[in-house]
Amino acid sequence: MKTLRVLTVDDSRTILAMLHHTLSNAGFEVLQAEDGKQGLDVLKTEQVDVVITDINMPVMDGIEFIKHVRATGNHQSLPILILTTETSQDKRDQGKAAGGTGWIVKPFDPEKLISVIHRVVH
Amino acid sequence: MSDLDDFKATYFDECSELLNELEEQFSAIEAGERDADRLNAVFRAIHSVKGGAGAFGFSALVGFAHAYETLLDYVRDGRIEMSDDVVTLCIRANDIVADHVKAAQTGEALPADYGMEEKDRFDALARGERGGSDDDEGGEPMDAFDIEFVPVMVKLGGDEAEADEAEADDAFDAPPMQVEPGHWEIRFTPHRALYARANDPLLLFRELAVLGDMHVRAVLEEMPSLAEFEPFAVYCSWEITLVSPSVTEAMIREVFEFVDGDCDIAIAQLGAAAGFDIPEPVVAAKPAPKPVVLTADSDPADLLALADDEVANLLDFSRDSDVAVVPKADFTPEPELAPVTVQDTFEEAPGLSFAELAETIAPSPVAKPPVQTAAVTPLRAAAPAASSDGEESSGGSRNVGVQSIRVDLDKVDRVVNMVGELVITQSMLTQQMDETLRARYTELVRGLEVLAQTTRGLQDSVMAIRAQPVKSVFSRMPRLVRELATKTGKKIKLETIGENTEIDKTVIEQLSDPLTHMVRNSADHGIETPDKRLARGKSEIGTIRLSAEQAGGNILIIVEDDGGGINRERVLQVARDKGVVAPDVNPTDEQIDQLIFAPGFSTASEVSDISGRGVGMDVVLSNIKKIGGSVHVRSWTGKGTRMTLRLPLTLAVLDVMLVKVGVSPYVVPLSSIVETIQCSRAAFERVPSGGQVLQVRGEYVQVIDLAQRFDMPSETDPENRFVVLCEAEGSAKVALIVDGIIGQQQVVIKSLEENFERVDGIAGGTILGDGNVALIVDVQGLKTTMVHKNAA
Repeated sequence: MKTLRVLTVDDSRTILAMLHHTLSNAGFEVLQAEDGKQGLDVLKTEQVDVVITDINMPVMDGIEFIKHVRATGNHQSLPILILTTETSQDKRDQGKAAGGTGWIVKPFDPEKLISVIHRVVH
Repeated sequence: MSDLDDFKATYFDECSELLNELEEQFSAIEAGERDADRLNAVFRAIHSVKGGAGAFGFSALVGFAHAYETLLDYVRDGRIEMSDDVVTLCIRANDIVADHVKAAQTGEALPADYGMEEKDRFDALARGERGGSDDDEGGEPMDAFDIEFVPVMVKLGGDEAEADEAEADDAFDAPPMQVEPGHWEIRFTPHRALYARANDPLLLFRELAVLGDMHVRAVLEEMPSLAEFEPFAVYCSWEITLVSPSVTEAMIREVFEFVDGDCDIAIAQLGAAAGFDIPEPVVAAKPAPKPVVLTADSDPADLLALADDEVANLLDFSRDSDVAVVPKADFTPEPELAPVTVQDTFEEAPGLSFAELAETIAPSPVAKPPVQTAAVTPLRAAAPAASSDGEESSGGSRNVGVQSIRVDLDKVDRVVNMVGELVITQSMLTQQMDETLRARYTELVRGLEVLAQTTRGLQDSVMAIRAQPVKSVFSRMPRLVRELATKTGKKIKLETIGENTEIDKTVIEQLSDPLTHMVRNSADHGIETPDKRLARGKSEIGTIRLSAEQAGGNILIIVEDDGGGINRERVLQVARDKGVVAPDVNPTDEQIDQLIFAPGFSTASEVSDISGRGVGMDVVLSNIKKIGGSVHVRSWTGKGTRMTLRLPLTLAVLDVMLVKVGVSPYVVPLSSIVETIQCSRAAFERVPSGGQVLQVRGEYVQVIDLAQRFDMPSETDPENRFVVLCEAEGSAKVALIVDGIIGQQQVVIKSLEENFERVDGIAGGTILGDGNVALIVDVQGLKTTMVHKNAA
């Protein structure tokens, strides 16, 4: 089975580190970006199977990031998961409106994280 | 668990950066810069603190940060105005967040009601906002803001099952006894939006299949003819039966959680008889065209195959006819087209890819000639293969988006130390090369020169890794000045210049306390009250200017104020009273100024609750000395005071001149040396105070005989002595008399205080290439102590 590549986008190093730990333990290859703009740069050169992105980020926030990704021809079917805190239903909706595929509630449970990814990735 | 500890360490690191950021943003916000960018940055910082805290279960921190974040969110979108009161509240809140972070880090418990008052004020502000906007909103359900603090009962296990049954009853309006538990019919009609968000029905089916025994049927009645087929339109819907004794509606809904709103979904619980079953579909009431029965994983290939049939029709048509306009009816799929029936292969082969599944399906005998299917299969297979190739070729680099790496300081320090030792070894090697060797081994000499250059480059590069902008220290000052101004009733403006100047990380860490003390001193003692300032014809707002710049191998940090200057009479008086200066000595104004750094000196009557915390400016001096720096103060009566910190760029290695005093080697920092002179005894002149001066190019320079100062027997001919002319703070020169000059080299500084004790006039020690220990001369210290010594 081929290794799935995940791009994680978050301005918090803590979250990036935890995602990296959880995902690489689960056999994913993890790429990282610290804001939406960096995320777009990564996608220009790298093929990934799924993107996990935070919403509140400097430079380019998650919503803008998703819109940009969806506007790119070859990324229309790239699953994008939004990282959100439990109480931000409106963010979840905004993310979905921008083209987000699903969401992951922070703080995430490692098993749940993996199962959510499998829900959107082949 | 060490992983968790690592994450926590990362988190606390991040928190301290975020708190610094908050500090910075709020000093700008307080100055009136309340633009959206700043408010967003502040919101993000608190949001990130909260996010991490949630991950580690720091609930007190989460609770407070959440309330604060909500307020910021309201401020950010303009629902609450960022008034001065709100700013003050926020600044207080930053402190509370910092305390919570600290408590989480150290494991200390804060009082349960800590920060409660501020939290209540957030609540009140947020409530006020909500109440004020529209009366009708009063009856709305609690929003997220409240939910955080009102325990929400989560339904678990048995409760859930009951609730679901109740829902099922409502949905079906059927007597409960006829419902066979666990037999579900799901009608699923995706909208275009579902696909636009990269959701995939196949994956949903895959997840549903985990719940129980599942059959999926694709409903293709809506499928138009190829001519009308829109690539991005949605024509396919599905009917799913799911049989499982334990499945609840909530579990099914959860599978469709992400696509809620992007599809029509009807979930119904059925008795066994009512469910549609393969191969006798209940829903397929229309005789033609018959729905194609598909399983969870077969649809794309079959859909393609279906389309292929149409293509075949089209081709047939164009071959047989010259008519260009194609009647629509001709493109309708043949009613006789046999339904493609495939067994549910999903459970048997869950790991199969699309392409593999397509192959499994392909031999279906009824559908169409195998050739056509075969033609489809490679197409499907080609795409993933191509994309995985691409991934392999470009997949070499990980973490491509991150431009920097974080390294443990210990690791960097290890490199710094080793480079330091390398530098010493290199200079030792050079030292060993005498003239005969040089003449004989020219290649070796050249090699040593290259080694010297490379070592120097290596050292610079390593030092650059440790360098950090002084911003992190400067950013704490606006807050300090603000507080001091409020407490003293003065009006003070703080200006910072050159905050991107970089210094060694250790220096930065050690800089915070002394700098705080100096700024505090300026605000407390330097700047006058507004009345006094106006009386002196100055603006009532005092200015403290904090600047950093690089000057050669040093960093200068200057704290300057436009206050009243040092009260020299008082300082001298106090110094005499305390015996710091003998009664018969008349120090110069500049020397008096430096007295404020003298140990044990404190102008007691001026001690306030701000700067008088039991430590005098002498602590500043000793702190600065500890990091190899020096302090100089200059004051202009009625106009202001300037304190200059001179700090080394790096702590590890120092360029020095090796000199001989008596029989011992001493080193003088190269950065303070102006020139070396050879002169006779006659050049020195005695001055009434007992000291000596030397005239250098018309300028009289204070002379310090190192041998005499350090009580070493001098063996040199008094008529032929070496003088090292050094520059102390404020361009004042000092002439050091030494017995010989050995040469220049680099040394690694070792602290005397840590290994022995503090010695006046000595800045530290070092180990030379030959293993001998040499002491590092503290030029500024010598010059200052000479005043006292002469006095004594």
